[in-house]
Amino acid sequence: MPQTTQTAPAAQAVKPPTPKPPEPPPEFQEGDIATMDATALIRILTDASSSEFRKAKACQRVGELGPKEAVPALSALLSNEHLNTYARYGLEPMADPSADDALRAGLSKLKGNLLIGVINSIGKRRDAKAGPALAKMVYDADADVARAAAEGLGNIGGVSSMKELQAALVKTKGTTRAAVADASLVCAERLLAEGQRDQALALYASLSAPDIPKPARLAAMYGIIREETSTSRPR
Amino acid sequence: MPDPRIGTGRFFSGRLLLSADPGDRGSGARTLGQRLKIGYRILGETEMTTRRQILKNAVAPMIVPSLVLGQRAGAVPPNDKIVFGGIGIGSRGTHDLRTLLSFDQAKFVAVCDVRNERREEVKSMVDQKYGNRDCQMYDDQYALLARQDIDAVLIATGDRWHTPLAIIAAQHGKDVYCEKPCSMSMEESWALAGAFRRYNRIYQAGCQRRNGGNFELCKDLLKSGVLGKLETLYANVGPSVNWPPIPSRDWLAAEELPPRQVLDWDRWLGPAPWRPYHSTYVSGGWRNFYDFHGGGILEWGSHTVDLCQWAAELDDTQPVEYEPVGTNVGPYKVLCKYATGVNLVMRDDGWDGSLKTGSCSFRIEGDQGWVETGDATRIECSDNVKPLLRPTKPANLALASHMEDLLRSIKTRQQPRASAAAAANSHIVCHAAFIAYQRGKKLTWDPAQREFTNDDIANRMRSRALREPWRV
Repeated sequence: MPQTTQTAPAAQAVKPPTPKPPEPPPEFQEGDIATMDATALIRILTDASSSEFRKAKACQRVGELGPKEAVPALSALLSNEHLNTYARYGLEPMADPSADDALRAGLSKLKGNLLIGVINSIGKRRDAKAGPALAKMVYDADADVARAAAEGLGNIGGVSSMKELQAALVKTKGTTRAAVADASLVCAERLLAEGQRDQALALYASLSAPDIPKPARLAAMYGIIREETSTSRPR
Repeated sequence: MPDPRIGTGRFFSGRLLLSADPGDRGSGARTLGQRLKIGYRILGETEMTTRRQILKNAVAPMIVPSLVLGQRAGAVPPNDKIVFGGIGIGSRGTHDLRTLLSFDQAKFVAVCDVRNERREEVKSMVDQKYGNRDCQMYDDQYALLARQDIDAVLIATGDRWHTPLAIIAAQHGKDVYCEKPCSMSMEESWALAGAFRRYNRIYQAGCQRRNGGNFELCKDLLKSGVLGKLETLYANVGPSVNWPPIPSRDWLAAEELPPRQVLDWDRWLGPAPWRPYHSTYVSGGWRNFYDFHGGGILEWGSHTVDLCQWAAELDDTQPVEYEPVGTNVGPYKVLCKYATGVNLVMRDDGWDGSLKTGSCSFRIEGDQGWVETGDATRIECSDNVKPLLRPTKPANLALASHMEDLLRSIKTRQQPRASAAAAANSHIVCHAAFIAYQRGKKLTWDPAQREFTNDDIANRMRSRALREPWRV
């Protein structure tokens, strides 16, 4: 027999409202795109008469299938204000290095948020070949671009990024400098993971200046303490 | 990501929305109380010297009894209060906020929302509670996060914002209470755990059942050995009639966009891919749309899978196999297995579960006994367990205990029960099951390498592209 410990109060989870949401119009239904092969999806992307919706959905499905033949069609959509994200949905998870080439090409063609989107994807893919371009962008007049570039460098990691970030810590100011500090923390973790302990500790140390924003300064200190007291990492 | 440090001052309904202090996240001038608090919070760190100097120079004010200052006996001194701001406080967030406001050691001072109506509602609620008009309103999260007096933030936006906002808050040195689901993808889960480890901030996921008495008792029973060797954990997931496992990728028809002062659609979308505006999304109907939602598995699994991981002390790992069973329109399951051989069954068992233990129920089966409970508080169990049952506090008090756990953690700097690391792992389990369900095949997972070992497409589904300029 089941046993009851006490009277049951009302359940906590809140049921969704009973009225069903409106039905999507036919032109905004994914339909056959869900089961298309790569060739058919690329055809949608390259057909000038395809709607914005169909291109968006095709990009997302292409991202799952990952065909390198889709790279030119996806890169052509990076300059589209509504489809930039969807194009990166396709490019970000693609194994083929042509996706890196496409994103890197976007660095010199795009501006504003579209450029930032591409920088973010480059950071996610950790494309080291983009390092020099991002290192210049850390000093971009558009502060949002500068911050994105700094964080991209942090994600890419490695000694080259470390040096660029250390230099930028001295040369940048205000919010860009704060982003450089945040990126340096990520870079230091990357260096530690790759066994470059001395460089990581040096990068943490460069974040100890009193004018570094306190959250990053303290995080660097925690990083040093974690590393110096770690019993799991071989010395 | 837009400027994480600079806020913009704006007027709403004739009230000034405060500007942030640009470019300074830590070195700005502070009151003595703020400086003392900082000294406490980083005890043993660099500020020790400063703290001592402050104490040396501030002996006289420190020895004035609080009663002399007119404070009532037992009241929490203002400088000991944990100061909160809130972002995206809707229906669930209001429930969280009401609970938070019941704690004397917490003080809520600011709200940020993309909807004017919500800002006004929260301000009204908070001002009524405190008997003043002090709660400030913002439409820009950076302006709120730049406030030096705010220690922690309550995040109760839609799911798409949870991880990016929590990480931005950590970068600003804030502790966080964040509603569930905490992430939209595996990648976001890793980023979340990494950021809170990096910045050493406190994070409490809105997985309040970890502090629910009946759930705690089930965990205790497992640990006591009365259930025998652990064999199978059951996590009820979102019923398919409410939240099918695979959400729609469709768009709703475009509607006329409201003025930005009423709704900032661009910021509402945030990291989610662009789509035309429709009021259904904004009024809570965003669930069941793939770009905003992780489906029924994540919707409840972020509670119940989380409970399974916690109860079985598996917070630091994930199952290695995921096998989906069922269709998108009827009862479904995902059969999972940990490397130890323990099974985890995610099941659509109806809203209240087949044993009527209430929503979000979970079950533990050992080779000698079993227990099952949910939001109805009642515990069902095998005969050998019955003598060990004891009354527990009602499940609907879990949130208050959970909030108390957070406040204690903020003071002690010890992570609470639903830390970022624990939440990240339980969410990754849900994301893996969601991916397996979409793929319609059994997937094998390597937790250490963070990859599926038998499906390239599944690996490409571990992350989602975020709309520019957002990133994690």
